This record gives sequence, C-alpha cells and structure tokens, in this order.
Amino acid sequence: MTTSLLLVDSHLDLAFDAIQLKRDLTASVASVRAHDPEPVIRSFGTCTVTFPELRKGGVGLVFGTVMTRIDPNDAWTATGMYTQSQCYGIGVGHLAYYQAMERAGVLRFIRTGAELDGHVTEWERDPETTPIGLVLTMESADSILGPECVPEWHAAGLRMVSIAHYGVSSYAHGTGTEGGLLPRAKPLLEALKAHRIILDVTHFADQAFWEALEVFDGRVAASHHNCRALVPGQRQLSDEMIRAIVEREGVIGVALDAWMLDPKWQRELPGCEQLAHVTLDAVADHVDHIAQIAGSARHCGIGSDLDGGYGQEQAPRDVNTISDLQRLAGILEGRGYTPADIRGIFSGNWISLLKKAWGEGE
Amino acid sequence: MASTELLIIDGHLDMAANALALRRDLTQPVQVLREREGGIRRRSGHKDSLERRQGPLIPAQGPATVALPEMRAGRVGIMVSTLMCRVQASGPDTTHAARTREAAYAVARSHLAYYQALVRQGEISWIRDIPELEACLRAWENPSLQTPVGLILSMESADPILGPEQVPEWYEAGLRSVSLTHFGSNTYGHGTGTRGGLFPSAYPLMDALRKVGIVLDLTHAAELAFWQILDYWDGPVHASHCNCRALVPGQRHLSDEMVRAIAGRCGVIGMVFAEAMLNPAWVWEEPVTQRPTASRSMSAVVEHVDHICQLVGNTDHVALGTDLDGGFGRDLAPTDLDTIADLQKFVGILRSRGYREEDVRKIAHGNLIHFFHQAWEHTP
Repeated sequence: MTTSLLLVDSHLDLAFDAIQLKRDLTASVASVRAHDPEPVIRSFGTCTVTFPELRKGGVGLVFGTVMTRIDPNDAWTATGMYTQSQCYGIGVGHLAYYQAMERAGVLRFIRTGAELDGHVTEWERDPETTPIGLVLTMESADSILGPECVPEWHAAGLRMVSIAHYGVSSYAHGTGTEGGLLPRAKPLLEALKAHRIILDVTHFADQAFWEALEVFDGRVAASHHNCRALVPGQRQLSDEMIRAIVEREGVIGVALDAWMLDPKWQRELPGCEQLAHVTLDAVADHVDHIAQIAGSARHCGIGSDLDGGYGQEQAPRDVNTISDLQRLAGILEGRGYTPADIRGIFSGNWISLLKKAWGEGE
Repeated sequence: MASTELLIIDGHLDMAANALALRRDLTQPVQVLREREGGIRRRSGHKDSLERRQGPLIPAQGPATVALPEMRAGRVGIMVSTLMCRVQASGPDTTHAARTREAAYAVARSHLAYYQALVRQGEISWIRDIPELEACLRAWENPSLQTPVGLILSMESADPILGPEQVPEWYEAGLRSVSLTHFGSNTYGHGTGTRGGLFPSAYPLMDALRKVGIVLDLTHAAELAFWQILDYWDGPVHASHCNCRALVPGQRHLSDEMVRAIAGRCGVIGMVFAEAMLNPAWVWEEPVTQRPTASRSMSAVVEHVDHICQLVGNTDHVALGTDLDGGFGRDLAPTDLDTIADLQKFVGILRSRGYREEDVRKIAHGNLIHFFHQAWEHTP
C-alpha cells in the first residue's frame, strides 16, 4: 500500500451512489455489497467504490460529480427529472453530501492551485490519514438554473462541467441524441469561461461537441471517455475529436465501463446477467491509442466512472474494486511506458491541467 | 372565488420529497402528474440511448392529489412543508430513508434547494416571521391564479441536523418546526413503530432549537419519547399530523392524555387525511389489516375534530395536517377527496355538522396562524 502511486480519478458519481443508491461509502465494499437491496444490484450492479477502497488504491484525488439531469423518459433509474428546479434540488443535495463528508474529515475540497499542491504533498507524505481530495464537477448542467447562477456554483467549489449527459439537456444534445448546442448554451459557456471552469466534453452528441469547441475558448477535457476507433459508438471519441482535445491541451480520462471497452457487450441485458470479455489490458489499449495520436502520454488520464450506473460485472473482469486500478501501472510498464509517463497518466496530467485552468501553471 | 371559500392552511405536506424522490413537477396540475405516472413510457430508437439499459421500474406511489395549481384552486394558501429524510437501514419501505446522517443531511439540503428554486420562480413564498406571515395572509385575501403559496418550513425527523451547532444554519435557511423522530429508531430518539425514549444527543439539540426559536413537533415520537420531550422542553409544541387513539387504536395516534397535554401547552393538532389514520381496523404492524383502497370519507376526519374539541372543551387546538401524498395517494385518501382542492368540501362538512363559522375559521386556518404568531412573537 505504501508503494501505491498517487492516482487521480476524473469521474466518480460518489454523491449519487451515497444518496440515490443509499450506500454508506465510509464502509468497506464488502459491507456495501451485503447491504445493497436486490433492485439496486440489478439496476446499478455490484459495488466497487467506497472511501476505504479509494485509499487502498492510492486514489488520493477524485473528481466527484453533481449528477442530475432532465430526462422524463428515464424508466431505467427513475432519477431523470422534469424541470430544472428539481435538478437544482438534487444537485445541491450532491454538493451537500460532499460538504458533509468534508465536515467528517473524509474528503477535502480542492479549489485552488495552492490547495492542490498542499494536498498532493500531504497525501504523498501520509496516504493513511490525509483526507481524499475532491474536485467538484458536474455531469449535465441542468442544475445550473442559468448563467447568473454560475458564481454561486463556483463559490461552492465547482471546477469542471459537462453541459450535456444522456438525452437533451437544457443546454445541449447529449448521448443517444443527434443535434447541437441549444440557444441557452452560449451565455452559460461564457459564464463558465469567466470563472475558469473547465468544459468537460464527455456526453456531447457529435454536433454539440464541435459547436462547443467553436464557441468555448477556455480549458477543455473529457472526464470519462474512450476511443471510437476501438469500440464503435457515439459515446466514444473519434480520432478527430481526440486530436482536437489534444490541440487544446486537454486531458482524456479513460473509462472502465464494459459498454465503452467491450464491443461484444450487450446493452439490452442487465449488467448482472453477463460478463465482460475484457480485462485492464483493454483500458491500456485506449490509453495507448490516445497516446499514439497525441505523440505523447501527456493527454491521458483515468476517469474510471466505476459505480457510475454499472458495477463490478460491467467492469474489466480483473477488476474487483477500484483499488485494482493500481495494476494499470504494471500493464503500462510492460508496454514500454516510462515511470514519468505512468505518473503523468495516473495523476500528473490532470494536476497540470487543473493548474493551467486556474491560471497557476507554467 | 366564491365567498364561502375560506383560506386553508395545511399543516403537513411533503412537497419536496414528492418533487425529488417521485419526480413530480408540482407546478403542473394533478392530472398531468397522474398521466405521467400512469402513462406508457416512450423509448428512444437511438442505439446509444440510456433507455436501452434495462432495470426494474421504481413502483409508483398512489395517484397524486397535491400540486400547486390545485392548492390555489382550493385556496390552500399556506402550507407547512417538510425537509424529510430519516436514517434507517434499507428495507422494502424506506424510499425516504438514508443510510447515513451525512446522506440525510444532503437529502434535506436538496429539499431546501427545491423550495428555494420554487420561491425564485414565484410559485411559493417564504413565511419565516410575523411580517411575512401577515403579507401572505393579505395576498390570500384576494388571490389570483398566480398568488404564491406561503411556505412554513418544517423537518420530519431531525437526522439531517448534524449537531446542535448546525441549528442556527438551518434556522437561517428558514426552518421553523422540527420533529425529532420519524419511523423507526433514528439519530435522536425512538419514533413510530418502536418502543423507547430519546437518546442523550436529543437534549443539546433541543437546547439549540429552543435558543433560535424553532418549535417542536411531537408527531412520530414514540410513547416514552413524547413524554420525555414534554418533561424537558418548555417551548411551543404542536402535533403537525396526528389523529386520536381513542377512535383509531395504535401508537401512531395521540392518546387522550397526550391531546390534553398538547392543549395545555397551547399547542395545535393537525388532522391527517389518510385511511391508515381513520380506519380503526388498520393496524400499522399487521399488513393483513391494511386495505388497498380507502373506506372512509372526510366525515371520519370530523369525528377526530369532534373528539379533540370535546376533550379540551373548545375549538382552539385543532387544525389540518393532511399529509396528502405523504406515502399514499388518492387510493388511500378519504373517498370523497380527489385532490387537495377538495379540502373546501371539508370546510362545508364542518359547517353542516353544526360548527359555527368562527370555529370553522379557526380549524381551517386561525389556530395555526395563532400558534406560529405566538411562537414568533416570543422568539428571542
């Protein structure tokens, strides 16, 4: 455990799991698995992420989401809302969960370069008791009622936002739809830029992706995203998109959802009724694909999205809990990545992007 | 509005829980909410749509009866509405429970934020002090279809309050009434369905509530907890939604002794419009006694009103705390109630039972106005 490399996971829906799935994330994964009622396991899979497991895996910094969207047809999770007022309610609830965990000494909000530097130093010295760092992010901007609310969210710690998710949000077309930005997107993007909030391009529909890059000239990243060249589907990034993100000095966090890793995955079946064919090697394939396009490993990161609507069944078959992410280091080493490359992929690339975004890097 | 229509205050609704846990957009008419929950769901043809993932559908609560347009139509101009999330282990009936106190805190904050968003839209308005109460009463003298519904913010089970030092923060956010417990054994004491009293942490919490001027709601306190609260607490008390044990047996209801104790402390008791609270055959602990549909009309509620008035010798301590859509729907609401707008019919039933106009007004709104007025007048 003391040999664990510091790892940054750029996409975890921790608050959703704690509140909507009612998981006690301060407990062990084994305990959560024992407590989860059958409908939760059937819909969301077997738990792989809790705070003790993050610590065991050296995950000292997480991007934790505020995650709620307008989605009246959400028959699957029945958490998609009808109005932005409802999304604002749920979104503030997610924020409040992270605040309560900070109060409990489990998490620590990271909002500035100084806080980031201090945290990394402290974590490397004392990974046993240092609180886990949290960068507050948002998946679907429906809980931002309008551009005039961006300062409130920024003050609360929000540092990265994807304005779309599944379906059509208040601002843009997202996964599973075809279309671009909606008229309300532009003033929102301007407000995000003014607050140095990173635009997360994950979950944009293709047209919306390109329109957003044109309108938004702040920092961009893809928090949890794989490569379309390896796994077909709109949810993945085309090579052209990867190139565009690299040109903008962005980082792409590769995700562990079998739907995005395993072309044979059957989306129509519940995750708990099938088994992923892939292992962590497939994750390394996506890292490598991005690195080959970029010409370096400086744009690769990890945004596992573990327990983000799927569980252990739908993760690479050699992943039992999030602590197994550490094994990627050996796999990458075997493929010729240098220790510096691996440190960058594990944490350095995200850290340097955050600092640049906050005007404190380079 | 017809001149016979009185302003009605509903002393207990779970508006935010319905909006967030059941996805109900309460700015829409009840009929729209029913169609959304009963309708066939559309499925996207896009191959990357989330709808292609399969999972169990979350079972719906019974058909909705409460939405803001119906409240306006029925002149229900003021509501005491909850932040509601208790800590309880997951079970078959724990939709509104959290596993940890931190999660309960987060859910309560989500409820608060929803109300704030409705205030921002002009759908509802805050009632946090006497001037705001009086302004709301004035607005409802000549209401329009846009008049905001006044909100007095309450909390059902104090689990979201992470400690006494957090009480001023909640007061500042608008919180004015708190019940320490709910179903089960919670953070601060024993609630409905359990035997026992308060936990030690309840006492510093009560001190903090008293200090800022939040009133205590005795609803859902287990027998021993009820009397422990009254022994310790010297501030205002009410029972936001409770009926009479003399008419319907069971711990969830108030014994005659409890009714007298609340009246003796100038408290008010809100009548609940639920089959489970009106049918003597219904036993909370025995599912076989529980009917799928209601058998009682709103006349059954009048029996509880009568009982309390006879017991205490006046009409000063009865109000409404319907709890409509509080875990049940139209199926288990009184048989002659379709939506919350039908509370005006209840006013008519009181009149036909011989209640004088002055008494009807007290029950419909006067007693709760007086209660909060008194509580806030003496706020430190």
